[in-house]
Amino acid sequence: MLSRLQAISVKVTDPFVSLSLVQASRSLQTSSQRLAPVPPLPDHGGKVRHGLIPEELFEFLYPKTGVTGPYMLGTGLIVYLLSKELYVINHETIYAICIGTIIVYGVKKYGATVAAFIDSINEEKVAKAQAAKDSHISFLTEAIENEKKEQWRVEGRGMLFDAKRNNVAMLLETNYRERQHMVTNEVKRRLDYQIALQHLNRRLQQEHMINWVEKNVISSITPQQEKESIAKCIADLKVLAKTTQAKAAA
Amino acid sequence: MSGRRVALKAIDWLAFAERVPSNQRVMFNALKTRTDAISAKLASLPETPPAIDWSYYRSAVAKAGLVDEFEKKFKALQIPEPVDTQTSKINAQEVEANKSALDFVEKSKVRVVEYEKELEKFKNMIPFDQMTIEDLNEAFPETKLDKVKYPYWPHKPIANL
Repeated sequence: MLSRLQAISVKVTDPFVSLSLVQASRSLQTSSQRLAPVPPLPDHGGKVRHGLIPEELFEFLYPKTGVTGPYMLGTGLIVYLLSKELYVINHETIYAICIGTIIVYGVKKYGATVAAFIDSINEEKVAKAQAAKDSHISFLTEAIENEKKEQWRVEGRGMLFDAKRNNVAMLLETNYRERQHMVTNEVKRRLDYQIALQHLNRRLQQEHMINWVEKNVISSITPQQEKESIAKCIADLKVLAKTTQAKAAA
Repeated sequence: MSGRRVALKAIDWLAFAERVPSNQRVMFNALKTRTDAISAKLASLPETPPAIDWSYYRSAVAKAGLVDEFEKKFKALQIPEPVDTQTSKINAQEVEANKSALDFVEKSKVRVVEYEKELEKFKNMIPFDQMTIEDLNEAFPETKLDKVKYPYWPHKPIANL
């Protein structure tokens, strides 16, 4: 009830402000229970005629009195007030007329731009809030995605342990093979050593025998035999020298 | 003497690499290089060592019975397989990791639910140009002016304007 009264009072006391005003179509929600989101502000203010009189009056009177009704009402009222001197014309009337004209002219001419400017200020605020809201929404969606991604990542943890177990198995296998190889190599080395030892022994024996035989032979050469062999050598050499001299001369 | 054939599980390194988060990439690379080194070493060793030519040695070595003795001992030798000490540790690690992973996933799901709730609230919020100040204070409690603490306009410390 009180809100209805407030709504009506809003309607009646705003004849002078024609643009960007909260019209009666928007009831004030002052109760603690909110029923629905408040409808958005209308794009244009309520229509007025002659810059002063709201269109609703004309609409209201149209069914009964037609188009000229409100004008007749207005004229009649003014004539009545003047004739009965309920409203006295004095200097203030002139002021009122002049100032009224100027105000109406100013509002009609510049009202739109001023309203746009003020609206833009409001728009900025709303845009900032909207940007903050949007960034928050995008942050939340990203966060959700990241969480899902991390969950997917976690699913791959088995691979790490598989890799580790594989590594261990490979190391063991490598070790085992190395041991096998080592055994074989060692045995081979031992056998080769034996063979090499044998060869060495044989060689030493051979050399020793040869030396011993040589020594004996040399010691067994008697001086007589030595002289004879030397004489023979000299004779052979002489023959050889003769043959080479003959060859060289020929 | 018989070679063991170990069942090595094939690992898809590409898929593995995809799942690694960026802050653990260094560790992953280290693991990969280690694994590659180990598998290269394994591949370089032939599975069985080359056989020893006993007949040649029998004919070459003069010592009687040495070769036979070696051969007998060699054939009888059992090379012990190296003991696997780490697999149980790895399995224990895996169990632990599974536990902590499940834990993490649980927490992550809780976080996701929270985020989704907030997202719902934001998505279903009325647009700003249809809000009143009361609606704004409901949606964002931090915008509510404390009229009790600061009874005079602008209801907040001037430094916060």
